[in-house]
Amino acid sequence: MSDLLSIMSAASTSLAAQRAVTATAGHNIDNANTPGYARQRAELATVLPAEQVNGGFIGGGARLETVSQSRDRFLEAQIPAAIGSAAQSAEESSALASVSALNPSAPGGLSLSLSGFFTQLRALSQNAGDPGLRQAAVASAKSLALSFNQTRGALESARSGLDQTVSGYLPEVNTLAQTVADLNRQIRAARASGGQPNDLLDARQKAVDRLSELTGATQVPSTEGVNVVLGGGVGLVTGDSAATLAVAPDLANAGHVAVSLTWKGAAPTTLSDSALGGTIGGALSARDGALATAVSRIDTLAYDFATAANTVHQNGFGLDGSGGRDLFTVSATSDGAARSITVSAEVLADPGALAAASASTGVPGDAQNLLAIIGTESQALSAGTDVGATLSSITAQFGAATQRASASSEQDAAVKKNLTDLRQSVSGVSTDEELISMQAAQRAYEAIAKVIQTSNEMMQTLLSIKTT
Amino acid sequence: MRVTDQATFNQTSTDIARARERLQTATTVSSSGVRVTHPGDDPGAAGLLVTVNANQARFDAIQKTAGQASDELASADGALNAVGNALTRAEELTVQMANSTNASGRAGAAGEVQSILNEVVAALNTRVGNRYLFGGNVDNAPPFDATGNYLGDDGVRRVEIAPGVTEAASVRADVAVKGASGGVDILSTLSALATALTANDQSGIQAALDPLSQGISQVAQARTAVGNSMNAFDTAVTVGQAARDDQKKVASDLSEADVFEAATNLAAAQQALETSLAATAQGFRLSLLNFLK
Repeated sequence: MSDLLSIMSAASTSLAAQRAVTATAGHNIDNANTPGYARQRAELATVLPAEQVNGGFIGGGARLETVSQSRDRFLEAQIPAAIGSAAQSAEESSALASVSALNPSAPGGLSLSLSGFFTQLRALSQNAGDPGLRQAAVASAKSLALSFNQTRGALESARSGLDQTVSGYLPEVNTLAQTVADLNRQIRAARASGGQPNDLLDARQKAVDRLSELTGATQVPSTEGVNVVLGGGVGLVTGDSAATLAVAPDLANAGHVAVSLTWKGAAPTTLSDSALGGTIGGALSARDGALATAVSRIDTLAYDFATAANTVHQNGFGLDGSGGRDLFTVSATSDGAARSITVSAEVLADPGALAAASASTGVPGDAQNLLAIIGTESQALSAGTDVGATLSSITAQFGAATQRASASSEQDAAVKKNLTDLRQSVSGVSTDEELISMQAAQRAYEAIAKVIQTSNEMMQTLLSIKTT
Repeated sequence: MRVTDQATFNQTSTDIARARERLQTATTVSSSGVRVTHPGDDPGAAGLLVTVNANQARFDAIQKTAGQASDELASADGALNAVGNALTRAEELTVQMANSTNASGRAGAAGEVQSILNEVVAALNTRVGNRYLFGGNVDNAPPFDATGNYLGDDGVRRVEIAPGVTEAASVRADVAVKGASGGVDILSTLSALATALTANDQSGIQAALDPLSQGISQVAQARTAVGNSMNAFDTAVTVGQAARDDQKKVASDLSEADVFEAATNLAAAQQALETSLAATAQGFRLSLLNFLK
């Protein structure tokens, strides 16, 4: 027969269980706004075995079986990749959109400087001996060269800025990778002693999420916890061990930084851009993608244009009757041509050296050679199109890359939002739910207390029986 | 779907941020009137803008240069007209003096012919700005000296009337005045006429009649060529201006925002933000906390 003390003992256990429910709801509410937190549930169970009393079984109350965590493994497996993709396209889009060097109507831009150069040459062609017009023509050539310098400089500056972005995030990546490795060990130890270390799991998931955002890494569950893998299967965290990422100048890429990965005791391995996603991968995509292409094409344009103009200019004669001079000084190859292009020192020092005449006897009025230089405006360059069309193509190509990155950014952000919304739906804390849970626990607690009170009164009744 | 507080906050935060971004974009487009600033705004239009802006500048430069060439040719035509008038007067004098036997009259006519010669030389030394019009490529010094010697060359300046197409923008004085390529030397003719008049040389005076007539026709031919060139340049100015304006319109269509569309977008963006804010405020009011006592 169930005795009163057993009832009170069962009630006491049940009270503790209800307190656990309240405490868990409180913990959930406390962490309602904590990033990476997954709501927890106090799982109650009937105390077994039930006591057999005559023909029936009388239960022993309720107990806390475990505190579980609400996570959907299917969603969690997809989220890191989505976070990485969204961060990558957002960074690439932002980086490209912030570059204004190729804006088609920007004052002082390459497009207007190029037009300005030919406009001044046309003005001079009408009066080739006029010193004022010669001065203006040389000034416009100088503006054009400067515009090439500045456009390339702005593009290179953007690339260098992205180097800083990459370098700036690496310490955080290394700390996070080590954190995941440490948490793998702690979680394994906690599980060995029984129960689910929910808050440690949250901390690890949060670190993995951030790693995904920065590097595009994905998580692979293993017996030792969670392994973190970069693109192409390059391991960043394996069990309790984490590799470190570092940067070094890459001479093959104009001194821009390359990222290398080092495992303790091993030699560094240089990572390709494709191994990195997330914010760092986005920065590398912009730097070595659209921006590098634009720099290279601007260099080629500057080289081709200067070479074409020089070839014609060399055939002409300045006011002093001398010929064979260059109009622009440019590098021997297209590499870095837009950075180094200047108006030749002779022409800069003396606008009279501008070779307008086609014959030494034609000075000062002959402008035939000037017309030939103007003709280079329509001359096909190495790209197969003239200087204006080539610049147009460079602008459109850069714009298309920016637009593609922007569209990808919006699409990836939508995918990420959808998945994180679903994660919130499964793992997020609803204060309404928690309040209801607390109310339910409170009611149960009050009722159980009433059981204890009743048992106590029954005990008092029993003890008050006097033997005669 | 289970909706949590965090999800609600995230959603409203995202929605408001997006509405504000749209409002910002609509405000920028409305206030600046520009639709394409960055190549990424519309890559095709941005690429075309480069070409269209270049074409606009090219046609503008061509029409300005052609306009200046036309103005200079007008000055050259004026000078040739003066030369033609002077030659006509010289021809009249020559006809009169060829039939006269009055020595003092011929001496007087000789003075007038010398004046005509000076007048012609002065007209042929016309310059616009700092440039002499009849010296060919040697345009920085008077092309004729006082005695009528030509100091210029046979160069003809050519100026663009369309991309890659040029038109003569100067007169070959060595041909029109000095008779190179089989014509008459007008200045030598006048000089010889003055000498014949001074010397009371009737045959010499009569000998000047044909060259003078030929010279008048030579100058008239030069003026015709000048007129043709002026027509070409004037057409280039008109065509250049029209082409420039066409390119300007294309650039405007490509880069500028439609005012009405921009205003509509702005109003819609404002409305969207207001609605988003109102919905957010309403949503935040509902919580079980408000009802639990």
